[in-house]
Amino acid sequence: MQRSIPFEIFRYAAILAALALTLIPILWTASMAFKPIGEWSATGVDLTWWPKEPTLSNFRFIFGQSDSSLIVALDRTAMKPILSSLLSASFGTLIAMSAGTAAAYGLSRFGSGQNLPLALTQLRLFPPMAVMIPVMIMWAFLNLTDTWWGLALVYGIVTLPFAFWLMKTFFDDMPREIEEAGLVEGCSRWRVFTKITLPMMRAPLASAALFVFILNWSDYLIALLLTTREWVTVPVYMASLSSSMTGQLYGAKAALGLIAAVPPVIMGIAIQRHLVRGLTFGALKQ
Amino acid sequence: MAAQTAESHDPQREEAARLGFRLTLPAQILVLFIAVFPLLMQLYISLTDWSPLDGTGWWMAWESWNDFFNYRDLVADNRFWGALWRTFLVMIVCVPVEFLLGLGLATLFADDFPGKRIFYSILLMPMMVVPAVAGYMFFMLFQSGGPVNDVLSTLLGTRVAIAWLSDPTLALVAVMIADIWQWTPLMFLILLAGLVGVPQDQIKAATLLGANPWQRFVTIVLPKMKTIIIIALAIRVIENFKIFDTLYIMTGGGPGVATETISVYIYKLTTQDLIWGYVAAIALAILIVLSIATVFAMKRMAAAREVRV
Amino acid sequence: MSEIHLRSLVKKFGNFTALKSMDLRIGDGEFMALLGPSGCGKSTTMNMIAGMEVPTEGNILFGERDMAGVPMGRRGVGFVFQNYAIFTHMTVRQNLAYGPKMHGRPPAEIDKRVGAIAELLQLTPLLDRRAAGLSVNILQRVAIGRSAILEPAIFLLDEPLSNVDAAFRAVMRTELKHLQRQFRQTMVYVTHDQLEAMTMADRIAVMDHGVLQQVGTPIEVYNNPANVFVAKFIGSPGMNLLPGRPAESDRGLVVDLGPLGVTAPLPDRLASTLRGRPGEVLFGFRPEQAMLAAEGRGIAAPVTAVERIGARTIVHLGQGEMAMKVVVENDQHASFGASATVVPNMEAVRVFDRVSGAAIAGSTYG
Repeated sequence: MQRSIPFEIFRYAAILAALALTLIPILWTASMAFKPIGEWSATGVDLTWWPKEPTLSNFRFIFGQSDSSLIVALDRTAMKPILSSLLSASFGTLIAMSAGTAAAYGLSRFGSGQNLPLALTQLRLFPPMAVMIPVMIMWAFLNLTDTWWGLALVYGIVTLPFAFWLMKTFFDDMPREIEEAGLVEGCSRWRVFTKITLPMMRAPLASAALFVFILNWSDYLIALLLTTREWVTVPVYMASLSSSMTGQLYGAKAALGLIAAVPPVIMGIAIQRHLVRGLTFGALKQ
Repeated sequence: MAAQTAESHDPQREEAARLGFRLTLPAQILVLFIAVFPLLMQLYISLTDWSPLDGTGWWMAWESWNDFFNYRDLVADNRFWGALWRTFLVMIVCVPVEFLLGLGLATLFADDFPGKRIFYSILLMPMMVVPAVAGYMFFMLFQSGGPVNDVLSTLLGTRVAIAWLSDPTLALVAVMIADIWQWTPLMFLILLAGLVGVPQDQIKAATLLGANPWQRFVTIVLPKMKTIIIIALAIRVIENFKIFDTLYIMTGGGPGVATETISVYIYKLTTQDLIWGYVAAIALAILIVLSIATVFAMKRMAAAREVRV
Repeated sequence: MSEIHLRSLVKKFGNFTALKSMDLRIGDGEFMALLGPSGCGKSTTMNMIAGMEVPTEGNILFGERDMAGVPMGRRGVGFVFQNYAIFTHMTVRQNLAYGPKMHGRPPAEIDKRVGAIAELLQLTPLLDRRAAGLSVNILQRVAIGRSAILEPAIFLLDEPLSNVDAAFRAVMRTELKHLQRQFRQTMVYVTHDQLEAMTMADRIAVMDHGVLQQVGTPIEVYNNPANVFVAKFIGSPGMNLLPGRPAESDRGLVVDLGPLGVTAPLPDRLASTLRGRPGEVLFGFRPEQAMLAAEGRGIAAPVTAVERIGARTIVHLGQGEMAMKVVVENDQHASFGASATVVPNMEAVRVFDRVSGAAIAGSTYG
């Protein structure tokens, strides 16, 4: 359909406005992350949009090199929280993808586990807060509190629905002829799964894994409840950084925020083709 | 899983069923772990007045048996109803706004134009930002010495120093703005996928029959998008109900309880007041209501799917 | 005025030229078929008439009025898509009522019109059924009714019968033709099926690769193909074309077909144009306009296949450039491998320039 000139102007104007609104919070955070303390204005009197003297001091600060201008010192660097986020998110993804892919294949090809779609959908719908107390109790009992592996297990369960549904729709989309050819040649069904199906599914598996990883990495509430000191994740650590002496540690927290936010954004853009499928449980594909 | 008939034991069929069973077993166990056991535990605790402060293990909760007192307290709990009300208020404002903005963006992106891909990727970014980080982003933005006031000052020509996060109403507004920023892209994403699926030739046919763009939108595009719209709204309503990360980091539920939503309230009861028996009752009540709603909704969706085919 | 005039119409998509300078006049109330293989530009032409595509060069006029700049909703044309594009989320009634409704007609008038059209197209019992899931036959009528209710002077149909099973196609053809006569509209009909075009159209515009090959009545196009393409495309099977050279003989001008021998003398009107003309020619005759004899004067060739398709028999002879087909009666004997003699009806013979493919003029038939 041809579009008229006034419409094109309107379109670009609207998109530009949307882009500006989208980017301002992100760019402001980036700007704050590179601003030295002197430029963190509490009163807004000489607020600058861009750092006058961009610096890496905030980043250095959170990684342990204390800045003499900051009276407070951290009791820990950001390294361990980053490690904790990485480990818990990765292993959580591993758990969710293993159980989810296997179950998805079982349902797609053999019709096993008919209760899973409903059960897993309900799992997604429940507010995490509503199930956290039993989990906290159980985890305390099993000595899993304040550990990255305890966290990973919860992550694996909580994102299992996404892994399951994503892989199920991918399996459903994949034609069975190739697998049947393998069966005809005498492979057992297990071999067909591991030697034929899974290798063919490399790209969807990667996309699904990234999707689940983003979800796990972005968690705040569960980590907040299940970790206390040793293995806090980045979002929890970031939120807990503060000082009554120098006011809010804007720059440091902004720097941490950037470190936390950049990987998922990059991953998200990489898998954007599959986002709709993952978010709507396959009801829609792009 | 395999129905064993009297006639044949198809070894292939049995092998398949066995493998299927084994493949789905891990997921089933995990679901059991998180669903059944905690549910029973919560049921038990909710009937007591237990708190971890009691010093005894949870299995001793029967010592402070409460019958259904917790549930009765829940009905009378003003703070609970306040939190529920605030949660709905946020939902009623945020979801429609996100929907309309997302729909608008989707119609702008329906056909090709230079730069579409790049703009699209950038516009999707907010929903990929870690919610906790988004919370902090907006915390910074809404500081009284922050950029929002700065922009307002420039626009209005006079120094503006609104203390957004200290004002009960404005804090709620700020929280809503943050939510709209973060989740409009989700609506945009889903609605665009739906919009693109509308059959082009029916739109052409409508144009040839004299329909103008608005008429085409209302009589052809929207009806064809009905299912997707419902899905998008359902997803957002559910997720918005659970709102926590962004909000908590922005305001901590304050000032006072001005921005305290259900999740925040439950969180505070859990970590500050530690009256876990009562919290369990709330959690169960929510779970029951949600389960009924889900089953109801899924039945309607299944029915709708059948009619359409 | 519902006369359509295409003037030097050109359409390019980027580097690809879909239509190369087409000139065509379609008369008021005429049924014109745009016939040709896939990719010949027929659908592109029709889309431009409807206003769905904009010409790269050239004009489209309805009567005296140039349609440039007139958007597709306002041209007063009816359009039936190949897959009907029925609004599947509406009932039949709502589909039919859509056009008038979009034009703001009052509900009472709309109801009346819908009733009349439904009556005409035998859709009345189906009016309140949902359009989705109805059979193709019904959908076609709804598609026509939906456009016809606006009483357009010009009706465009894009291969409307290609989705219909063969059994119903004949019925549909008659229905469509009947409707056109009734509504007295100018109808432009795109198809790749030459049988459809031949049976339905007043005139046929044969197209190939974006170029108009010939415009004429079915009989004209059949008997006097303007070039080799039309000769082969029209007719089932198409015209036989054998390479040869004109040669003088004591009986008159003949065509020397090389190994196949020499034809009988050409009729005078052909001979006079052909005589003295340098270069090779293609000697053409239709399979239905030749006889098969066991021996005698004619073109001798071995039989390579015999197709018995019920109503008639097609005998294939020769190979490669010398291949021919002849349509014979079912009781005629022809055996594989044996040699037979093809005797074309010389009055119906056509000659084409071998290089350009154009017909060498010299006769009118009927």
